Amino acid sequence: MVEVKIGLEIHCQLTGLQSKLFCSCQCDYRGKAPNTNICPICSGLPGTLPLLNQRAVDFASMISLALGCKVPDKVMFYRKNYFYPDLPKNFQITQYNAYGITSIGVEGRVDYGIKSTKIRRVQLEEDPGRLIYDTSFYTLIDYNRAGVSLVEIVTEPDFAEPKDVRMFLNKITSIIEHLGVGDTKLDGSVRCDVNVSLEGGKRVEIKNVGSFRDVEKALGYEITRQKTMSVRDIEIKSETRHWDEARKVTKQSRAKEEEEDYRYFPEPDIPTIVLGNEFLSSLKAKMPELPDERKIRFLREYELSDHVAQVLIDNKELADFFESTVKIYSSSPNEIANWIVSDLLGFIDDSKREEGSLFSGLRIEAKHMAELVKMIDQNIINRNIAKMILGQITKTGEMPSYVLDKMNASLIDSKAIISEAIESIFNSEKSAVRDAKQNPNAANFLLGKVMQLTGGRADPKIALNLIKTKLAVLE
Amino acid sequence: MPNHLYRLTADQVASGIKNRDFSAQEYISQILERIEKIDLKINAFVAVDKQGAAEKARSIDKRIHDGEHTGGLAGVALGIKDNICTKGLKTTCASKMLEGYVPPYDATVIKKLKENDAIIVGKLNLDEFAMGSTTEYSKYGPTRNPWNINYVAGGSSGGSAASVAALECAMSLGSDTGGSVRCPASFCSVVGLKPTYGCVSRSGLISYSNSLEQIGPVGKTVSDVVMLMNAIAGTDENDQTTRTTAIETIPNTMSLDRIPKYRLHQNNRNIRVGLVKELVEGADPAVSKCIYSAVDLFSRSDCKCEDTSMKSIEYALASYYTIAMAEASSNLARYDNIRYGFDSNPEEYEWNTYFAKVRNNFGEEVKRRIIIGSYVLSAGYYGKYYLKAQKAREMIKQEVKSLFEKYDVLIAPTMPILPFKFGEKIDDPLKMYQIDIDTVVANLAGIPAISIPVGFSDCLPVGLQIMANEMEEQTLFDVASSFESIVDIHKSPEI
Amino acid sequence: MISKDEIRHLGWLSRLELTDSELDRYATQIDEIISYFDKLDNVSLTGSDPARSIKKVSELRNDNIHVFEGDPLEFSKNRKDGFVKGPRMV
Repeated sequence: MVEVKIGLEIHCQLTGLQSKLFCSCQCDYRGKAPNTNICPICSGLPGTLPLLNQRAVDFASMISLALGCKVPDKVMFYRKNYFYPDLPKNFQITQYNAYGITSIGVEGRVDYGIKSTKIRRVQLEEDPGRLIYDTSFYTLIDYNRAGVSLVEIVTEPDFAEPKDVRMFLNKITSIIEHLGVGDTKLDGSVRCDVNVSLEGGKRVEIKNVGSFRDVEKALGYEITRQKTMSVRDIEIKSETRHWDEARKVTKQSRAKEEEEDYRYFPEPDIPTIVLGNEFLSSLKAKMPELPDERKIRFLREYELSDHVAQVLIDNKELADFFESTVKIYSSSPNEIANWIVSDLLGFIDDSKREEGSLFSGLRIEAKHMAELVKMIDQNIINRNIAKMILGQITKTGEMPSYVLDKMNASLIDSKAIISEAIESIFNSEKSAVRDAKQNPNAANFLLGKVMQLTGGRADPKIALNLIKTKLAVLE
Repeated sequence: MPNHLYRLTADQVASGIKNRDFSAQEYISQILERIEKIDLKINAFVAVDKQGAAEKARSIDKRIHDGEHTGGLAGVALGIKDNICTKGLKTTCASKMLEGYVPPYDATVIKKLKENDAIIVGKLNLDEFAMGSTTEYSKYGPTRNPWNINYVAGGSSGGSAASVAALECAMSLGSDTGGSVRCPASFCSVVGLKPTYGCVSRSGLISYSNSLEQIGPVGKTVSDVVMLMNAIAGTDENDQTTRTTAIETIPNTMSLDRIPKYRLHQNNRNIRVGLVKELVEGADPAVSKCIYSAVDLFSRSDCKCEDTSMKSIEYALASYYTIAMAEASSNLARYDNIRYGFDSNPEEYEWNTYFAKVRNNFGEEVKRRIIIGSYVLSAGYYGKYYLKAQKAREMIKQEVKSLFEKYDVLIAPTMPILPFKFGEKIDDPLKMYQIDIDTVVANLAGIPAISIPVGFSDCLPVGLQIMANEMEEQTLFDVASSFESIVDIHKSPEI
Repeated sequence: MISKDEIRHLGWLSRLELTDSELDRYATQIDEIISYFDKLDNVSLTGSDPARSIKKVSELRNDNIHVFEGDPLEFSKNRKDGFVKGPRMV
């Protein structure tokens, strides 16, 4: 089998910041009228200087530490020179390591499952503006996004399978969310470039896959494409392709007229930033709990199974929901975790699950889950009823006890009460009773009548057994 | 009302207005008249803000009349090089690429001048994007030397020096990347300072070469330059390369006046002076003769003057131009005529074609520098040129640093030649670059340097350059002031 | 020797559409200038890089929002519905 090598370049907006990377404009550009979230700095006006945001440096350093990177004592910024209409200065301020290590993180390592991937570097840079292709005569430019902080995470080409990439991206998402530096659910806040090569073959880059969900698909397509070419002895060219989201294929990007040469050089307007031990140790002290640590704690503290803990941890929202529930009702963490992982997730449709925005549209809160599990524990409801109630809560946001009352679904398990109902049905449905004596399947009709009479509250198992017993003794 | 108020130094204007010897309006109307009368010949101004200046003068007079506080530069007429952003006033860098551009913000230095109640009378001519040594590369045509209008005024801050020399304003601001304040100051016989890198905010200065340039004051006297420097120097949150250790203004609790950061006292006691041999000997004999005689006068007082050598000067020009052009090639990328620039419609153009087409409207010298800058940064040549230029720069810095262990100041000519006629060097860019040899050292090393008038040769001015260690502006002013009083050549050109 | 093609390529990198006569002139001039720069060959690469301005993280800008008053693009001429109009991308 041919070995596949996959490497990633992940771009993640630091949406946890208030302001942009180099100016005091709002980081949150979404939903604003075009060019209303700009100032002379981010719109590239002559004479403006970049004013580096100190918290962006904090956040990028935290990401680097979380990815096991070395953070150098001094960091620098570089200019990457290329023309593009979405770049207000026609260069991008980014970081670069060719002339000494000055990017915010290098040489990290991330474990996921039983595998791990090396991180080549982490760098802090600015997002460009947005282009809207209005007509074929011109382009419309909105600079609201220009200057938003991005962290670029570059991996070594360590992945062999798309599903590993998927697991790794889940981990990265969870780390970002746990650090509180970015909200990966926001549209366009995480983007990914992928490079793929077959063993000994040329490297193909797939640019700007718009969401993590599509990465696996793009990789699947591209690997098949390359393998097919290789089987047919067609040479695979080193090229840049892009992911066509609608057609689910990778397409060759229009060849550039001439090779770009980015002419990197140190950004003279930004001083060298000294990080040093003091900075790093105070940062480490501030670091929130990371997914790996949290998982270990879940295993220890709540005695969850490895699988359940992993599912929870992979999505911070889920893990947070679990812990908020346990806080309200602490007796059965395992029961709560199982309900979340095997039942609640069933109500979340796949698209939302992919986007990572699990609870959008669902009205359930921790207090609901806590009461539900408590009611199960206290035998007020059984699992089937609980499932029905759960379905109801997600839609209405009502408390389980209220739902239960409304359904009037307190389970009747008293044989005496059920027998009474059966007695009354046997009296009124004489012909059905005769049929049932001949044909055991007709007993279900009688059960239905009993359930009707008890308003659905009778435990159906008990009721059916009692009916069968009664039929058996009937002459 | 006294005549010839426009002849006064800034010092005299400020105290005259404060003491109500004359009003700001009287003074400003004479200045505006003067500009009207002679700038057709000099071409120092690219725009005059008559209305703004008159309004400001009126408000200053009113405040003085009402006994309200006014700033330290109240009423003083200042001209601003047209690469420094002035809110609401066109700022063009003398380039078609910024035709009609009106900045929506003030440069930090402009904010500070306004706080000090200076009156900005207009914007001054320069070589396009400050790239040049003669102000011949301006879309507005060249600025003429007030001492002889057939000669260049120097550059790139030609307008800044010529306007002060021609008594069109009391002081001005220029910018100095490789000598752009000192060269025209020398050619026009005024005082011009290139401050320590990081001493004056560059926020609002339209970048040519960020790691080299500083905004610098131009005045008739050292005292005026000190006064202007006090107004503009200081740490700025809008420029992260300003020094946090810069001398801060100390608020005076007794009055709203600020205690000056720099003071004026002549002091050459025990000053150790090093005369940079390579630069004096490399100059035109007419220039070096003036320098020697000034130094001779100076060394009769109580100071030690000796020849010294700066070996790394060999690499100064190559290092300077490599770095400056590299940074310029990137700084000037933003001029693509999308957000600002001359009238043009991008519709129907493919973007690469559009960019290349509109950008061809840069002037010849700017394009030359962009291309060379691109070359020295390109993948194959970064190590050979840009990196080596940086190493050379550090070498020069180190040597300069060691020289300042032996000397308090270093002295050299400001320019190796006398002002020359228009067109004389314009066809030979390398020759043009080579006249910056005396000035680029200060920019590469980040140290302060001042040019002061020390004489004339064939009726053409000669400037002397004094350099001091970084943040030693005070030493520079002390020595410059002593020279000024010893040489005493202050006069104004007949225009 | 710097060729006309090299100058054309550099022009492309900088998006400058140079005419033939410009290419000729620049090739000669730039060759002369670059040859002058060649004296940097004698500088050792082992020396240290120039000291740059240095700041601590705490000296950088605080992460606060300040809304710019006014429209930075007030004077830009090609606008449509708040967008800036640019050339076509293909």
